[in-house]
Amino acid sequence: MPAHPLGLEGTFPLLFLIWLLPLFGAVMIWAFGPRFKSFAGPLGATMVGVAFLATLAEWHDATAISGGLAGAHQTLFTWLPGFTFGLLFDRLTLTWTLIITGVGFLIHVYSIGYLAGDKAFARFFAYLNFFIFAMLTLVLSDNFVGLLVGWGLVGLASYFLIGFWFYKPSAVAAARKAFVINVLGDVGILFAIVVIVAHVGSISYGDTFLQIPAYTPHDLFIVCVALFIGCAAKSAQVPLHTWLPDAMEGPTPVSALIHAATMVTAGVYLIARCAPLWTASADARELVGAIGALTAIAGAVLGLAQWDIKRILAYSTMSQIGYMIMGVGVGAFDSGVLHFLTHAFFKAQLFLGAGIIIHHLGDEQDVRLMGGLRKTLPFAFVAMLTGVLAICGVPGFSGFFSKDAILSATLAHGHPWLYAIGVLTAGITAYYMFRLLFVVFFGTYRGKVDPSDLGIRHPELAGTASASGHHPAADDAHHVHPPAWLMSGPVAILIVPTVLIGWLAYGGDASPWKTFWEPVFPKVVETSAGFALPELAGTVLVFGVVLIGFALAYLRYGTPAVLAQSVPRLRTETVRMPTVLVNEYYFDAAIDALFVRPAQLLGRFFGTIVDPLALDGVVHEAAHTAAWLGHLFRSFQTGIVRVYALSIALGAACFAIYYVVIGVGR
Amino acid sequence: MESYIALSAVMFFLGVVGVIARRNPLIVLMSIELMFNAANLALVTFSKLWANNTGHIFAFLVITVAAAEAAIGLAIVVVAFRKQHYVDVDEASTLKG
Amino acid sequence: MIAFWLLSFALIATAVFTITAQKPVYSVVGLLGNFVILAILYLTLNAEFLAVIQIVVYSGAILILFLFVIALLSSGVKPFDIGPDRAPRIGIPAAVFALIGLCIVVFSVVRAQIAGAPNAPQGVTGTADSFGSVGDFGVALFTKNLLPFEVTALLLMVAVIGVVLLAGDEKPAPPRRKPKARDLEREPIVKPVETVAPR
Repeated sequence: MPAHPLGLEGTFPLLFLIWLLPLFGAVMIWAFGPRFKSFAGPLGATMVGVAFLATLAEWHDATAISGGLAGAHQTLFTWLPGFTFGLLFDRLTLTWTLIITGVGFLIHVYSIGYLAGDKAFARFFAYLNFFIFAMLTLVLSDNFVGLLVGWGLVGLASYFLIGFWFYKPSAVAAARKAFVINVLGDVGILFAIVVIVAHVGSISYGDTFLQIPAYTPHDLFIVCVALFIGCAAKSAQVPLHTWLPDAMEGPTPVSALIHAATMVTAGVYLIARCAPLWTASADARELVGAIGALTAIAGAVLGLAQWDIKRILAYSTMSQIGYMIMGVGVGAFDSGVLHFLTHAFFKAQLFLGAGIIIHHLGDEQDVRLMGGLRKTLPFAFVAMLTGVLAICGVPGFSGFFSKDAILSATLAHGHPWLYAIGVLTAGITAYYMFRLLFVVFFGTYRGKVDPSDLGIRHPELAGTASASGHHPAADDAHHVHPPAWLMSGPVAILIVPTVLIGWLAYGGDASPWKTFWEPVFPKVVETSAGFALPELAGTVLVFGVVLIGFALAYLRYGTPAVLAQSVPRLRTETVRMPTVLVNEYYFDAAIDALFVRPAQLLGRFFGTIVDPLALDGVVHEAAHTAAWLGHLFRSFQTGIVRVYALSIALGAACFAIYYVVIGVGR
Repeated sequence: MESYIALSAVMFFLGVVGVIARRNPLIVLMSIELMFNAANLALVTFSKLWANNTGHIFAFLVITVAAAEAAIGLAIVVVAFRKQHYVDVDEASTLKG
Repeated sequence: MIAFWLLSFALIATAVFTITAQKPVYSVVGLLGNFVILAILYLTLNAEFLAVIQIVVYSGAILILFLFVIALLSSGVKPFDIGPDRAPRIGIPAAVFALIGLCIVVFSVVRAQIAGAPNAPQGVTGTADSFGSVGDFGVALFTKNLLPFEVTALLLMVAVIGVVLLAGDEKPAPPRRKPKARDLEREPIVKPVETVAPR
């Protein structure tokens, strides 16, 4: 048991059930996948579903508070003194676990329908279950090393799932990119662990947080920055965000689960978990808040330049996580967590709805080739509409509460610039999300239009059916249309929290949400006084900006006149898109030039010069020298007796000379 | 006295040159006999110098041993001759590496 | 003194003749002259017995042996020294070495102070027990140096056996034991090696 566990010690068999059932499912499906075939789907879904029920059963233990300790703690084993591994199930973990298992379960069910007929159906569910297990390891750990183990495993699962269709080179490249950037984050966290162990001698959260006064401000900042590098890599913050748009190469349920609801929020979880650390370091908070705001607006601006429906959603994810990071960065931990909660629902909703569209259109992802789907897919329209309304923060929907909470907290903690950026981003968000809605669902269907008329120069790169690589004809030879409820059911279920979950935070400081988090997070005390905008004024301001964004989107994409001219207008927009936005601020180019090319050159240098000349050269020269010496000594062995006689004579002469000149010892 | 030793040395080195420079084994053996005799001369000289006839004894035994060695050497030459009907020291080169 | 220089000159001349003669018989003759002159030198060194032994054993027995072997080898028509000279011009380094070695030895000998015994008998001859005489030599050989004498005898025996073995008859040795009847029925485990066919 660690010296200062954060929770009440005890034995909780249900915790093991929650944690290990997905692993069991993954192992079973890995081992018996070919035999299970389509049974793998329900099996995987059941594992996660049972885990979800177990989580609900553990609600009481998680929310228990007694004597300064909150939650449930189960010690697993002690590896070294100070290195105790255990499971911690407190309110923060409970929130994340509910989302992981709950939304995870819905996405498992959805995937049974989405991937029906795919050759590698079972493998997908093995990976998905493995991901759930890894994510649970991350949030259930009571120590930094367990967190890091979960962190790495989640990155691994992401690699598996992004590169699921591994016959697509673009998918493989995207998976590799994601993995490498994630490993960079792992290094940051490892560095932080080293500093923590050097200071505290223990890896558990409780011991670390207790010893915070023993850190110098400099060391504390270092630890926070190192941890934040991990968060930035995992949560796709600038400048480590480049992997997230490419990660859309994976199947849509993957994007929904991993790159919207759970994995990318691991950074937010880490910051919230280490709240005492951030509370103690104002510099770290500044940094985190600034990067969160920067990411939010950068993602939003890029979102309005995308034509692939999943990339639009990817950038919106990046932007919204920027919001969350900004929230926890300024010290409003519960607001950040609330936004995580609402975002999980509405982003999963948006992705699953997009998945219905993509599936229906035969893997078409380019919005320019969509249009008028309001009539063909009314259910998807309703789903995406609720999602869009939530993400824009329209009052009454869930996103409204969480965004407002973050923005007012930003102001209250004395960051007017971050507030301004946040409000502006809200407007841009509204603009590009409604752009998405108008282009996809309104007007007439453009699927039969020649791509070049729409300005698509490289159909194979633009996310069209041929590009996604999922060839329905090839592996759906026995395609049986799954029952529609498999895909629409989860979406329908998700509509409810998308709309309503925000109401938990209704009522300001007396809301159920605030009282839930009251005993968990320390209060951040700012040195400078914040601004206090009257609550209504703030809400009106934000809503006004959102309306402006909606209006702009409507005028540009939604009016009947525009919709009639959609083909030439889209073409003009495609052609006139600024290259900075098309190249995503040249981040990829910069990383390529700064890191990838030098590494390749270095590798080539070592491969063509150092290896053959120096390394092989050393070996060859050694062999050469041995052979040369051999030849040299062999030349003495002439076999001619007379030469031997001469050498004997010479040898004897040397002895004689020695004794004559130097003399025998007298 | 020193001149006797010098003489012995000259004879010895002549013998060495003979061993190395000639290809006929018989001549080689004879050069070896020359070396033996050079050593004998030195022995006898020193024996006279120190008035100790151990040198004489030693020289006597050297003569005996030289005889034995010459006999064996000649036997080897004869056997080699039987094989190839000529004798050449350079032919015994199977130690060539 | 003059005798010494004359004798030494003759010694060296005969030695050079020995090693440079083209025919082995000439070498033997040169060697014979060398041994005789050496015997005379022994006489000047009061080693009478040894001088005689030198002539009797060395020139009388060993050189005869050489002559016999030359006769044996010359019975064929093929000359000596056939085959390529595998170490041509090896005489040059040998001569150089010999010259240098000789210089060193002579130099060191000349520089060294060879101290002799104070009362070395010089030139006393004729009596039975004088230094270098037969009696003196015999006493020393059979009393103080008996063991080397006996060992040398053994060594001579070994030499004789060796010569007989090496250059003896060419008939193959008879089989050690006759194979028994039951051995003949089985396949021999070790096949007998083919012996040299008699000429």
